[in-house]
Amino acid sequence: MAGPMEQFEIETLHPIEVGGYDLSFTNSALWMAIALGVISVFLFIGASRPQLVPNRWQAAVEYVYDFVRKMLDDNVGPEGRRFAPLIFAIFMFVLVCNLLGLIPWVGAFTPTSHVAVTLGLACIVFITVCIVGFWRHGLHFFSLFWPHGSNIALGAFVFVIEFLSFLSRPFTLAIRLFANMTAGHVLLKVFGTFVVSLGSFQALPYVFGIVPLGVNVALSALELLIAVVQAYVFALLASLYLNDAINLH
Amino acid sequence: MPQFNFAYFLPQLAWLGFIFAVLYFVVVRATLPKLGKVMQDREDRVIGDIGAAETAKGEADEVTQAYLAGLGSARDEARATLAGARAEAQRSLEARLAAADGDIGARLSEAQRALETARDAAVAEVEAIAADAAASIVERFTGARPAATDAAKAAKAALAG
Repeated sequence: MAGPMEQFEIETLHPIEVGGYDLSFTNSALWMAIALGVISVFLFIGASRPQLVPNRWQAAVEYVYDFVRKMLDDNVGPEGRRFAPLIFAIFMFVLVCNLLGLIPWVGAFTPTSHVAVTLGLACIVFITVCIVGFWRHGLHFFSLFWPHGSNIALGAFVFVIEFLSFLSRPFTLAIRLFANMTAGHVLLKVFGTFVVSLGSFQALPYVFGIVPLGVNVALSALELLIAVVQAYVFALLASLYLNDAINLH
Repeated sequence: MPQFNFAYFLPQLAWLGFIFAVLYFVVVRATLPKLGKVMQDREDRVIGDIGAAETAKGEADEVTQAYLAGLGSARDEARATLAGARAEAQRSLEARLAAADGDIGARLSEAQRALETARDAAVAEVEAIAADAAASIVERFTGARPAATDAAKAAKAALAG
């Protein structure tokens, strides 16, 4: 039987090598591409020809887009609306990757359970925040780390801490998502193996497998919730970091 | 853990970069700004409609106010007209009553006067008859007829007494 970590194994589906670098098309890339396809269908059906009176597909897209815009309005203010497409793209990508990975039977792979992917997404956020911050405020952007109204020594100390905390943001952002996804899938897998091992008790087959199966059903519901919540948290933190860059506190 | 196998990082990051770029620049950028504009249009239109409705309601309120004010002033006017007419009627009635009173008084005093004249005449006639009768009685008793003035004087004194 496959171990609980085996589901995270990267398999090369089509080896590609460019200039000595391995850029193979893997199962991770496949599921990211499927996520891209799902989002594309959702958006092209719902939002390619928007009407003043929306149909159902458009209403669904608007619901999500409005959610993102409200989040930016609340956390950044009116200037945040310009970044609504970016935050929307990040939110949808994380959400769809998380949800697709929960589909049973089809051998689904969760790209967001890999720290490489989550770190890449976090770096998109981090680089955007840095570009926006320096673009709008120049070197004054560093005043984000300086505490107001303190003396030089304490200020310098806090500055170092704040700066390190700023630099650690992409890692915390990446690890939060990756750890949540990994833990959930490991848990599902562990209880899945319990179903098999308890259910194959020879004297009384199947019966004892029911308990871990029930647990797995409940866990699946929980994991669906976590998939949505973690996508929301990722987008929310991205908008909070954007707020720092735009408004400097 | 396969997640920390750094050999997997590059292919995943490369494909993530490619797929996310397609997602953002080809899919999201092509659809969402249009959708955002439509949503904004709708919001503006709804807000505009609400504003127009509020303006219309204000106008209707003003009209109602003007109508009520007109109604009130008309009512006041009618009340004033009514009171004026009533006072006028009262005045003319009083005048006619006064005129009638005067008329009646004049006719009363005239009648009084005529009555008094008639009475005086009657009294004078009675005196004359009494004097004549007295003179006739005296003539039958004495055979001599007293002077008419004496008889009249005596009759007057007797009638007065």
